[in-house]
Order: sequence, then structure tokens, then C-alpha cells
Amino acid sequence: MTAEHVITKPVVAAVAAHAARGVAGVSRLEAGLAGLVGSVARTARQRIKGLDPAPTEGVRVRMDVGVRLEVDIVTTADDQAAAVGRAVQRAVARAVTNATGLAVVEVAVSILDIELS
Amino acid sequence: MAMNETDQGYLLPCGRDVEAVWDRLDEIDAHELECPHCLGARESLRALRAVTEEMSRDTSEPSRALFGRIMSAVRAEVRRGDMLPLGVGDLGPVSASERAIAAVLRYAADSVAGVRARHCQVWASVDVVNVELKIAVSVEVVAPDVVSMVRERVTTAATARVGMRVNRLDVTVEDLYDL
Repeated sequence: MTAEHVITKPVVAAVAAHAARGVAGVSRLEAGLAGLVGSVARTARQRIKGLDPAPTEGVRVRMDVGVRLEVDIVTTADDQAAAVGRAVQRAVARAVTNATGLAVVEVAVSILDIELS
Repeated sequence: MAMNETDQGYLLPCGRDVEAVWDRLDEIDAHELECPHCLGARESLRALRAVTEEMSRDTSEPSRALFGRIMSAVRAEVRRGDMLPLGVGDLGPVSASERAIAAVLRYAADSVAGVRARHCQVWASVDVVNVELKIAVSVEVVAPDVVSMVRERVTTAATARVGMRVNRLDVTVEDLYDL
């Protein structure tokens, strides 16, 4: 018997965003314009339904053979940006695979800002 | 009476006007207690009122936050164009914005007493990173070892805070200033 599991991109993105946000040295995820518009629309739609959506901004997902993710983050300057980026890669890949069973092929991390304290 | 206020509106099957129901949302008369049309209309209008009230409360406070989010999104769009690779692992590339890196390096140069960082440009060429930094120095501290201290702070910041090795660091003392 074969079972087909359908996991949508927003679910993968929400899992990834949650994992990335939990990494030490990550200040926040950076949505960008497209992400901001999408998240405002999604939040409005879900709030009417009485749900608080899990945030997905700052994560883009492509699903073909495996999952490819692009994560945009802002780091704090106390931690080494490159190391934080690698930690985000590992945390996101692990979280997505654990939560969905999908193989993660790539997690491309872009550090868009480094917050100086 | 209340009915007079509304001359053109959406009439319910019972003959009452939706506008009238809206106007007296909290004061119910005998007809409205019984009438299923009025009851239905009032229920939806209450939901509408709750949502609009929530929205109007919403925008007054977080609109500034939304403005901040829009501006940071715009800045992020600009920065997305100038990414500098920090390395490629098993899971793909990690890159950082050149502007963000330049800001870190300028901040490091600024930390030297009597030095004000000005222009800083960072660019990559095949695995190495080159930095061009222009500074202004106070007349009280101007000396060759100020520049070497700037050099040291900047390369340290590049390693410790960004995680990149600087191949070439050009420091130009552009200006002197009186303190």
C-alpha cells in the first residue's frame, strides 16, 4: 500500500521559520517585500477565520525532488555571522525533516543585516 | 421613529431595513426578538461590528510597526542584490549582504579613539574578501599606529563578527579633524 502525503509549502516554511528563529544569534527573519505582502494577506485571511497563522516570512520553499529552502535572516553582531548561518542551515534541515519526513537538499542562508549592539 | 432615517436601503423579507437594524444594534424591540430575518441580520452585523472595531483598534497601534516592517523589507530588497558568499557547506551557501558587512567593519574602525570611519566597501573575488576603508582621523591622535590599530580592529571584526578572512585591506586617511 502506498500512502501519499501532501505537505504544502506554507507548512514547510512555517516549520523552517520557527527553527531558524530559535537559533542563537538570529535576531529575526527578514521578509522582504514579496514576503511582507504575502504575510499581511495571509494574516488577514486567517484572522477572519479566527486563527493566528504561524509566521513564514523570510523563508521561500521549492519542492521538486527534495526540499530546497532559502532563508533570509538578520543576525546579531555578538555571534559570528557565518557560524550562525551554518547553524541555521542545520537547524532548519533537521526540523523540516523531523516534522514532515521530506528530505532537505539545500538551505541557502542569506544574512541581510547584522545588528550592531 | 428610527425607520424614518432610512429611505433607501436593503429591505429584509419582514419589511424592515438593514440600516435600521444596524442603527439599533444594541436595543432590541419585540419584533426583532421574534423575527428570524432581523435576528439573522443582527447577528451578522454584530460580527461585522466586532471585526471592524478590532481592526480599527489594530491599526492605531501597530501601524508604526507595519511602517517599520515595510521599510526593513525595502532595505532588505536593496541588500539582496549585493550578497557576498561566506562559504558553501553540505547544505548550500551562506551569504551576507556587503552593506551589512561594511557596517560591521565601519563600526569596528569607529571604535578606535579619534577615528571616524567614512566610506567602506567590501567585495569578493574567488574565495577572498577585499576591503577598502576611508577614515578621518583627529589631529590629536594622527600617527601611523592609529592606522595599524584600525587595521587590526577591522580584521578582527571581520573574523569574529562576520566569519570571513580579509585578503586585502586598504585604509585611506581621507581627512583630519579638530577635536
